[in-house]
Amino acid sequence: MKYALAVHGAPYASEAAAHALSFADALLAGGHSIERVFFFHDGVYQGLGAQVPPQDSFNVDTVKRWQHLAAQGVELGICIASGIKRGVVNEAEQTRYELQHPTLAPGFELVGLGQLIAAINNADRYVEFPA
Amino acid sequence: MKRYLFIISRSPYGSSHALEQLEAAMVAAVFDAKVAVLFRDEGAWCIQQHQAGAAIGQKTMTNVLAALSAYDVEELYVCADFLNTYQIQTEPTLNVMPIRLPEQRALISASDVVITAQP
Repeated sequence: MKYALAVHGAPYASEAAAHALSFADALLAGGHSIERVFFFHDGVYQGLGAQVPPQDSFNVDTVKRWQHLAAQGVELGICIASGIKRGVVNEAEQTRYELQHPTLAPGFELVGLGQLIAAINNADRYVEFPA
Repeated sequence: MKRYLFIISRSPYGSSHALEQLEAAMVAAVFDAKVAVLFRDEGAWCIQQHQAGAAIGQKTMTNVLAALSAYDVEELYVCADFLNTYQIQTEPTLNVMPIRLPEQRALISASDVVITAQP
């Protein structure tokens, strides 16, 4: 089956990413496909590129885990409206708003809310991981 | 086309939850989806009359809700229990239907997609 996933929780503030990542891994292992992972509300912080995970914790480098998912062809779409107001910007938005640095981690992209709806419309199942 | 239900469960100005949920609802409507919105828990405060968001530099929530009809989002529901608990006075220009828990259950069951973003 085709799945659309949404992540609404920020890193270290909720279990959203841990659950979504495990679920996504299980989907792919089970032969399902993922139409898109959409990051909405505080979930946009998942794509913040300047995160330094604690060295003494196991398996918490969620950015790397997301990027591993992206390397398998899963699209990681960050809501551009939710993202830029929280400081998650790519080079285009950094230039547009004259900010000092882009902050978006590689593997993620900024997309419109329409990409959430399009993913849900194309998918058989929509599963969200709340804050 | 899928039936969408957006559930708004947080107060209008305490976070951007409600506003971002409504933005998503409008986009779903632009995609020709059938869209309903349910206000429950502290989200019921979104429909309170006499709001003045400008006083704290924000958009007035009831004005945003009034714009939903321009997107053909006409199905607005509020949890009847929270309406009573908080003694909320509904903005009279909005057409919001109070519904009890069994009706909310039916509404959720009848929807293809439920977007909650609940804490």
